[in-house]
Amino acid sequence: MGPIVPLFYIPEELNLLIAFLIGLGFGFVLEQAGFSSSRKLAGMFYGYDITVLKVFFTAAITGMLGLLFMNYFGMIDMSLVYLNEYYMTSAIVGGIIMGAGFIVGGFCPGTSVCAAAIGKIDAMYFIGGGLVGIFIFGETYPLWEKLYNANYLGMVKLSDSIGVSDGILALIVIVAAVVMFWIGEIAEKKFKREDISNEI
Amino acid sequence: MKTKGNTYMNPYLAGFLLGLVLLSSFYLTGRGLGASGAVKSVVVSSVATVAEGHAMKSPFYSKYLEGDQKPMKAWLVLEVFGVLIGGFISGAVSGRLQLKLEKSPKITNKKRIMMALIGGALFGFGSQLGRGCTSGAALTGMAVMSLAGYVTMMAIFGTAFALAYFFRKNWI
Amino acid sequence: MNARIVLSILIVSFGLVAAILPQKQNSSIQLDAAQLLYEIQLRNHVISVDEMADAIINNDPYYQLIDLRSPEEFQTYNLPGSLNIPFDKLFTAEWAPYIDQVARKNVFYSNGSTLANEAWMLTRQKGMKNNYILEGGLNNWIATILTPTSPESTFGDEAINSFQARLGARQYFSGESASSASSANNAPRKPVPAKKKTKVAGGCS
Repeated sequence: MGPIVPLFYIPEELNLLIAFLIGLGFGFVLEQAGFSSSRKLAGMFYGYDITVLKVFFTAAITGMLGLLFMNYFGMIDMSLVYLNEYYMTSAIVGGIIMGAGFIVGGFCPGTSVCAAAIGKIDAMYFIGGGLVGIFIFGETYPLWEKLYNANYLGMVKLSDSIGVSDGILALIVIVAAVVMFWIGEIAEKKFKREDISNEI
Repeated sequence: MKTKGNTYMNPYLAGFLLGLVLLSSFYLTGRGLGASGAVKSVVVSSVATVAEGHAMKSPFYSKYLEGDQKPMKAWLVLEVFGVLIGGFISGAVSGRLQLKLEKSPKITNKKRIMMALIGGALFGFGSQLGRGCTSGAALTGMAVMSLAGYVTMMAIFGTAFALAYFFRKNWI
Repeated sequence: MNARIVLSILIVSFGLVAAILPQKQNSSIQLDAAQLLYEIQLRNHVISVDEMADAIINNDPYYQLIDLRSPEEFQTYNLPGSLNIPFDKLFTAEWAPYIDQVARKNVFYSNGSTLANEAWMLTRQKGMKNNYILEGGLNNWIATILTPTSPESTFGDEAINSFQARLGARQYFSGESASSASSANNAPRKPVPAKKKTKVAGGCS
């Protein structure tokens, strides 16, 4: 039964090797999907390229369904899987700041690393900016500490908070995603930008 | 499609494969993917090297330096190192290795660089406040159905959509 | 049919299956009954009084005796080097680190063997290792080590030898060295905690 590393005595070196291999797959798929291009990523917000929506939601659904079925067949102990802690205020405020960073800079941290790997200069500057941003947060942490820890609601699951089973929530997310995929593909045709698509 | 060899994978297939990577991370280690945490490790170790006393006193840095934790040997750092190599391999396979500043023809190189720096700084700051970025909080959080994941995801994409109009010149 | 329609229907039907499946909670830590039964039958968790007496005499640091009786009973009489963790305090924050550790062999004992058996079952069910029980408890200890009966002359060499060892042990435990040894060893040694099988760290923090 999984997860393997916390359940069995796995040496730290092996765990780090696993981290490297998972990262390898992560970076390869991101690059193959085209996440190494800021204009492709930004296309999501102007409708000319919705790759981000497609990849992101397909991945989330795959992971979600995979976990549900693995749990059902007794292959994984979900109580050992990390569940993000929910600090309401900081999740929302942090998310808004990240959203602004996304549209201004054109990357998120994961995609910027992958884009820098194939030589995108803008991505390298984005990573530099990220280091500065984290440094600023670290230096001014006492100012934000209250906000950072405000409204702690614990490790809450969305399914529990709206009162449905995990499976039903999965169905809701899947239906919503499929609807978004269809709308997005229509938008992609409507806002088509041949000039940009040929460049990226 | 008459593009010069830089055709990308079908996004749904890529998403499925990314989901499998995510799933194997859950099965093997019980944790999802992440990226901003590694960048933070770099910052924390740099600060600790340059000004150790300052880092140990700071309530933020000291959290990651307590005990015998070595931030640079952390799991996420190795994972992001893998992302770097994985991205490079993929770029090499698909013939996309090229030094290039990508931007809309409407803006200057200098402006693109400024924008990338500011965007990176905002993302870095926000990821610390929001306890994770698009990969660690939103994608991973959504797969485990965490409320935090969905809220962060909606805040990120909602804000980006809301501000898209004001920054259109950067991209289209 | 259009590939998009096929894929949409496929993924939604996966969602439907997921929605119909009942909620389930797996637990990797709880041992199931069959596994526990098997381990009980193996009797690998039982330490004989002879082995224990030998370990005490040789001051073997690998063994940690744990007295499960009340503090009053413990005060009246205890085995040298033992630690008093009353049965009802087994899983308190103060003592839990001592029973969920990796450095030593914990040997549970009480007057008889019931309490030690129950304690072993509980800790084993929680997935803890390195806990053992003293065969027959203190009653057996007194009968075997402190008042050994000489075997019939028809018994084999092995019985004679173990009787000799017990005689030696009796001298050790009733002699002067007994009191000094017990006072020196009674301070609990710091436990080495077992690897925590709780949630892993994650996200980006």
